[in-house]
Amino acid sequence: MGVKDKIKYIFSYKIAGKLLIEYNTKKTFKNFKPPKNWRTDILAPSLRTGVYTKEIIAKHYLEGRYVSGVKPVAWVTSGAPIEILKALGFYILYPENHGALCGARKVALEISEEAEKKGYSIDICSYARTDIGATLSKKTPVGKLPKPDLLLCCTNICQTVLYWYRVLAEYYKVPLIVIDTPFVYDEAKEHDIEYVKKQLEASIEVSEKVAGKSLSFSKLKEVVRLSKMAAELWLEIMNANKNKPAPISVFDQFIHMAPIVEKRGDPETVDFYSKMLDEINERIKNGIGAIKNERKRVLWDNLPIWYKIRFLSEFLAENGVSVIASTYTNAWGELAPMMDIERPIESMAKTYVYPILNRGTGHKLKTMETMVKEFDLDGAILHSDRSCKPYSVGQMDQRLKLLNELGVAALLLEADHNDPRAFADEQIKSRLKAFMEMMD
Amino acid sequence: METVKSIGIDAGSTTLKIVGVNEEGKILFSIVEDADPKVEEQTEHILNKLKENYDMESSKIVATGYGSNLIKADKKVTEITCHAKGIYEYFKTGGTAVDIGGQDNKVILISKNGKVIDFIMNDKCASGTGRFLENTAWRLKIPMEKMAELALNSDGEVKISSTCAVFAESEVISHLSRGQKLEHVIKGLHRAMVKRITSMIYTVGFNPPLMLSGGVAKNKAVVKMLEEELGEKPRIPENPQIMGAFGAALIGLSQ
Amino acid sequence: MLHVKIPTRKEVIEEEKSKGKRIAAVYPIHYPRELFRVFNIQPVEVWGPPKTDTKKANAHLQSYICSVVQSGLSFYLEGYLDIVDLIVVPHSCDSLQGLGSIFKDFIKPKQELVTIYLPREKNKENVEFLANELKRIYKQLSQLCGFEPDDEKLMEEIKTEEKIDKLVFKFYKSRENLPLSSREFYTILRSREYLPPDKFKSILEYALLHASKGKLKKTGIVLSGLLPEPMDILDVIDDMDAFVAIDDMACCMRRVYGEGHSSDPFERIAERIVNGPPDPTKGNSFDERFEFIKSLADLTSAKGVIFYNVKFCEPEYFYHPILKEKLSKAQIRSLIIENDINEPLPQQTITRIKAFIEMIRESS
Ligand SMILES: Nc1ncnc2c1ncn2[C@@H]1O[C@H](COP(=O)(O)OP(=O)(O)OP(=O)(O)O)[C@@H](O)[C@H]1O
Ligand code: SF4
Ligand code: SF4
Ligand SMILES: [Mg+2]
Repeated sequence: MGVKDKIKYIFSYKIAGKLLIEYNTKKTFKNFKPPKNWRTDILAPSLRTGVYTKEIIAKHYLEGRYVSGVKPVAWVTSGAPIEILKALGFYILYPENHGALCGARKVALEISEEAEKKGYSIDICSYARTDIGATLSKKTPVGKLPKPDLLLCCTNICQTVLYWYRVLAEYYKVPLIVIDTPFVYDEAKEHDIEYVKKQLEASIEVSEKVAGKSLSFSKLKEVVRLSKMAAELWLEIMNANKNKPAPISVFDQFIHMAPIVEKRGDPETVDFYSKMLDEINERIKNGIGAIKNERKRVLWDNLPIWYKIRFLSEFLAENGVSVIASTYTNAWGELAPMMDIERPIESMAKTYVYPILNRGTGHKLKTMETMVKEFDLDGAILHSDRSCKPYSVGQMDQRLKLLNELGVAALLLEADHNDPRAFADEQIKSRLKAFMEMMD
Repeated sequence: METVKSIGIDAGSTTLKIVGVNEEGKILFSIVEDADPKVEEQTEHILNKLKENYDMESSKIVATGYGSNLIKADKKVTEITCHAKGIYEYFKTGGTAVDIGGQDNKVILISKNGKVIDFIMNDKCASGTGRFLENTAWRLKIPMEKMAELALNSDGEVKISSTCAVFAESEVISHLSRGQKLEHVIKGLHRAMVKRITSMIYTVGFNPPLMLSGGVAKNKAVVKMLEEELGEKPRIPENPQIMGAFGAALIGLSQ
Repeated sequence: MLHVKIPTRKEVIEEEKSKGKRIAAVYPIHYPRELFRVFNIQPVEVWGPPKTDTKKANAHLQSYICSVVQSGLSFYLEGYLDIVDLIVVPHSCDSLQGLGSIFKDFIKPKQELVTIYLPREKNKENVEFLANELKRIYKQLSQLCGFEPDDEKLMEEIKTEEKIDKLVFKFYKSRENLPLSSREFYTILRSREYLPPDKFKSILEYALLHASKGKLKKTGIVLSGLLPEPMDILDVIDDMDAFVAIDDMACCMRRVYGEGHSSDPFERIAERIVNGPPDPTKGNSFDERFEFIKSLADLTSAKGVIFYNVKFCEPEYFYHPILKEKLSKAQIRSLIIENDINEPLPQQTITRIKAFIEMIRESS
């Protein structure tokens, strides 16, 4: 082993694949045309820097195909503290992102049915079902997923991931690191942070063992620095929507957030988002909005509905509704200021306790209220995601408060982020129409 | 007058089935009727008429099915055990038995020596059961036999995504109103049902041969699609609908 | 049949209040009984209750939240908990996390709200964390009650609970010698959810007096899940000439903790909970859960396991496929059933349970 894998990796990924992808990107970027069927009558032309999103993701999964035996592979949850693993040279796969990709390519249902056949209930999170289905059947739209050598699960998004990763540990028979983050009802207590810090410290040893080398603190600091920079840029991109018209829709953010989740801590990611920010600023200068006729500005709460992004974006744009702020995309930017390059572990402990999903329902309401004011919004769409209880519980009260105390229209939209069986086009349209009438 | 050693009564959600067997377990008579709300009276009536032709003085009675609580019997056994018994004695082999009735479907794994190894039933909802097709048949005023025939001879298929019987019905209507061909939609409806059953079969773990019982096994389109989905030709008894009652009667023999 | 008079929750609350005690309504699952007792607080657990009309909770919770949380919240909103002084919401799962948070941020009860975060692993960091979490709660309670009981007093309460846990285990081991229906057995056992320790102890001791030499000649079942509600499930099993020989239920066996070792009372409680029987909400591994359930079956004559799962309870769902497989390799049959504690048992469920018992009886 080893040598052969390495040769294949170098040839297929480093040389042939990567170059080909990069060449293609350059070409498309130069002769940039929006994708076919792009509704230029109602939407701004798609972002030109978007071709780099495709490139980053394509390279990421291509590397995944050949990486086994060359780099240690870790599968991690979306809110996991990956800086240590990055500094140790792990290839990092995010099953949730892979799940989203399956959703967007409309194969999530087929794959999750593989898990359902094995007895996994239709009432468990559709990401988990998609990932377990992919594990059991090897089905994936990206060709092949590398097997994990290590699993890292952080409960700062939900408890669901704990069970899901236990299942993975059972199938792959590899070590599982759990970083358990106490839920923050109002403020995190000292012993909460201390607990997370100790777990982070304990995780270093396990990760080092799997990686076969020891952690370099200067490298860790570098990763934290890059992570923080990328997150700050991302935050800036989202905040650009305070302009009128807003330059980048939340539906576009859903697509272009993949690198901040999947490639945080890489220098290319920083480059990418600074390019994107330039393009956004260009739009602002020229008064270009994400949609042609911005009549109403609204926010999106909860996960995207991956398999219906286009449908929703076009339907809303047709009616002059621009979705421009979201608690979800915001989650990958809002914590950037907490990261302290000089005290990586301590600041990680704190940062990873504070994601919006690990905080109370009142905090989420406050976040939305702030958005309504700062982005000057007319309404809020709260996607009630039957898969995601931590994100969805509390929405009914939040909706009433937005409606009664801020006087903005608010809609609870029942669906699921990855399971199309929970989405009926006509029903959804009629709800959205009623919501739009409320705003008029 | 022949002596009936044992009688099996399967009072299902949709139909009432009564089977009488002799000492060797040979079927002497079998009756299938739509189930009456007053199934106890219906049963008594049928049995009284049968007494004119058969000696039923010492017959054991074993009841099964939804309505079995209402029926006077020497023993009551669940449909799972009865269908397994009936199928096993009919085909003399273990494997996977699938009973698709009006309201329930059951997948039963049967061991080499005829024991139930594992089973699964649909949940409260009617997806994948006879009712799933019937709802639509009623709504469109097409008899069930015709539905199957339409599906069987259709040259195309429309995907029906709802697994819920109620939503599927409205999905069918909306496809039709958008100008889709009737037979394409009906075929899609059958497919949705068969997929549901197939996934149940995989959930318990498919172990060939596949053997069918229950009224829906008479639906040729369902049978053909099951073969397509599983890659395995199902075996079907001469009258699949009476397998539960037949099994019940056999259980009575060993009393 | 045994004739034991078990007071109802309402009677207990009234009596304890008249003695000057405070009452805490406690949501599922794990919490430190000892810690509340030492403050003269009587915990009264809220498991459901079953067969509640949940329309009031429907204004706060979506339909995909489990019936335990739905009826727990409705119960509060209907005013049944007005009489209590504290509301305790352990962080057992994402849904109870949400309930605690909705209470705090939106419903804002007049009662003192106590939340408890449970660690999800079994290392020393986890025990240490829980001990600190308990100290935080101690502070909260002493502020509420105006006094600070010392370590010795707390240790006493811990020892009392440890003794009761032992007694409960003995009660389980005598199950087959007790002339009790499953419903009676669990009615006695579950009175621990609201009785003061001395009362509960005397009921158990009285019941144990009736243990006989002869064993029940019935098919034994291990019942796994959250809680045996609606209790008709127990009757369905008994009607088949079978009985629940032992359980792996959150409200019962999963809270029969072992003794702690530490001489520090907070650490000792933490040890008891963290190292107690495996439970999905504590995040135990598949092997831990499998070994535990298998040991339960071995301890009794139980022939099969029924997983009786509250619909939408994710923590439980994830374990089923692999546990079922592991059990089947160990020649133990299992059945998975889904229920809503507010609805009568559907006919399908009854048929499934009956067929399962027929199946395990046939093959044994
Ligand atoms: N020839 C046929 N073609 C198509 N479907 C048929 C045919 N004959 C019967 N069926 C269907 O079979 C179903 C009834 O099956 P069966 O008699 O096995 O049900 P049951 O035992 O009463 O129901 P259950 O077992 O669910 O309680 C009905 O849905 C009916 O539409
Ligand atoms: S969608 Fe929700 S439940 Fe699923 S993994 Fe993400 S946070 Fe957890
Ligand atoms: S039943 Fe499950 S989901 Fe509901 S409160 Fe209990 S542990 Fe949570
Ligand atoms: Mg039937």
